[in-house]
Amino acid sequence: MTDVIAAARAEQRTLLSEVEAKQVLAEAGVNVTETRLAISVDEAAAHAAELGYPVALKVVSDTITHKTDVGGVELGVADEESLRAACQRIHERVTAAAPDAQAQGVSVQPMAEAGVEVILGITQDQQFGPVLMFGLGGVFVEVLKDVAFRIVPLEPRDAAEMVREIQGLPILEGVRGQPAANLEAIESMLLQLSEFAEAHPEIAELDLNPVFARPDGAVAVDARILLTSES
Amino acid sequence: MAVTRERLTRALAPKVVAVIGDKQASGYNWLRSMKDFDGPVYSVQVDENEIPGIEELGIPNYKSLTDIPDQVDFAVCAVPRQVAPFIVQGCVEANVGGVTLFTSGFAETGEDIGVELQDKIYEIAAPSGLALIGPNCMGLHVPGLGVRFNRDQPAGVQGNIGFVSQSGTHGMNFSLTGAAHGLYCSTLVSFGNGIILEAADYLEYMADDPQTEVIGMYIEGARDGRRLFKTLREVAAKKPVIIWKGGQTEGGGRAIRSHTASLASDQAIWEAMIKQVGAVAVHNLDEMIDVVKATLLTKRTQGNRLGLIAMTGGQSVVLTDAFEKAGWKVPTLSEESYAQLSEFFNIIGGSYRNPLDAAGTIGQDPKHLDTIFDILNADENIDAVGMELSATFMARRWQDKPEEFDRLIGSLKKFMAESDKPFLAALHPSHVEGAALTARQRLQEEGIATFPSFERAANALRKASALAAV
Repeated sequence: MTDVIAAARAEQRTLLSEVEAKQVLAEAGVNVTETRLAISVDEAAAHAAELGYPVALKVVSDTITHKTDVGGVELGVADEESLRAACQRIHERVTAAAPDAQAQGVSVQPMAEAGVEVILGITQDQQFGPVLMFGLGGVFVEVLKDVAFRIVPLEPRDAAEMVREIQGLPILEGVRGQPAANLEAIESMLLQLSEFAEAHPEIAELDLNPVFARPDGAVAVDARILLTSES
Repeated sequence: MAVTRERLTRALAPKVVAVIGDKQASGYNWLRSMKDFDGPVYSVQVDENEIPGIEELGIPNYKSLTDIPDQVDFAVCAVPRQVAPFIVQGCVEANVGGVTLFTSGFAETGEDIGVELQDKIYEIAAPSGLALIGPNCMGLHVPGLGVRFNRDQPAGVQGNIGFVSQSGTHGMNFSLTGAAHGLYCSTLVSFGNGIILEAADYLEYMADDPQTEVIGMYIEGARDGRRLFKTLREVAAKKPVIIWKGGQTEGGGRAIRSHTASLASDQAIWEAMIKQVGAVAVHNLDEMIDVVKATLLTKRTQGNRLGLIAMTGGQSVVLTDAFEKAGWKVPTLSEESYAQLSEFFNIIGGSYRNPLDAAGTIGQDPKHLDTIFDILNADENIDAVGMELSATFMARRWQDKPEEFDRLIGSLKKFMAESDKPFLAALHPSHVEGAALTARQRLQEEGIATFPSFERAANALRKASALAAV
């Protein structure tokens, strides 16, 4: 994983791509959807064939912070024909929305089985150092700011309290016949991130958004890592 | 060289005290504040014009710390900032245990000269192991030893609250207002710029201090947040810790690219940190006093079901509202309780559902209050008991017939002695504020947790119950 970070440093980049971030996280034991970089449509089709349809495609670019905002995401791509069309649409939309953006290609990942969308994150506090965040994802995090924080290192009790502290807990526990999410899986992921943050002080910010919290576990389907500016 | 515990103990529990640079213009505040100190007090002053006034106070004056024939444990320094480094040097040479630098005008000014002087003081003090408190602070208050920085602070009373304050004012206000609520400090430190000793050092001392049962802290920011976090985790596992965080630290101003970083406000992180270490957060002096009081005077419960005794129907309703808003439940009592209550409770103008609207019943026969307490003590649906003491109705009567008030206090204390359930009382200020105050002070003396409103009572009990250390 230091290779990925060292490579980014060598290129004087502080933002890791989704593919790089997931590689680093997977090595740390965090459950992420397997995600591969494709620099051509043919390569994307080859990855999708190996990973299995349906897949998600996302533009990979150092200069684009919010992929959805520039139309750089296609979800639920069912087969190769759809994939080729989807790659073309991403290219057209991103070129229109961000003509100056440098795109390295697209990431290809299998569509994860949906669950409750949650966000897990790391940031550095000026006084307390690495800090972990947990909350419901999507609109909940953006509008309601329904999140819980803890200082690293977390003890198991801290992870358990964080998950249960948010107002939206009943959504995780299953409302209107929805199955309950596996809270222990989220707690484990928080503890993994705590260790990860301790081992890597060069991580300035990390968002796993969303993580799908399901009855059978939790998986991060998008990841963003920002390194500290000083190496 | 780190400050050793032995050195810190000499400073915070001194046997010999010196005041450096006190003068008439300040009314000899420091020397006068030390008049009840439990040991020798010396003055150090070189100004010939000031010396006669100091000697008139009956305090021996010396021109230098090293001239004092005793080993000074604790010194207070109130000299101009340019002189402060020389005084600190003198403390090092005289092997003083610790010194409070009341002197201000250092890094807090943002001026180069202030920063330079502070650095100079640090360079003198740090290698010596001198327990330097401050600068820019009020320093030390130990009522049990008569160490004060304000003449209205109590002396000659052994308290049980450790208080660590980054601000002199809030430390002083806690000691003064707290004393009016019957709350006394074991050790209070206002540490200001904290260049040698910071909050974590005092917390560690108080965690080990047998006199200290509960710790309060006012803090605005930490120089070493990681250390504060780790220290608080250890300390709060031993003793209840209540934290009042003042102000908002400004962000670093860097570009933020994640949701996590954008949501991690100073306030959110401090609140999380306080919860994580097992302390509780309060937001003003009143709340600090309330929670300290509840922590010291009420028992702990893991439950959240309250039995409430009110004096009128209207108060029953708002009492319930106040407690439920603070997260308590006011459930129905057990069938057995209702069966017993039905035998004697006066339901004309009263009710015993919960809350128990009990003025008529108790008025009929004061023994009924003991019976009500026995029933609530035995009731499995109830974890804690709260009671409205109505100054509006009763304060004048308590004044005229003190034996009735005595009997009431007897009933409350009997319940507190016999039951494991927490008990607290609310006594609103009233149109007879003087009489209400007299009643409150008496309740305090008897060790009964009394609060000036239902809301404050409900909040205090909830926060005290949330504390990790029992």
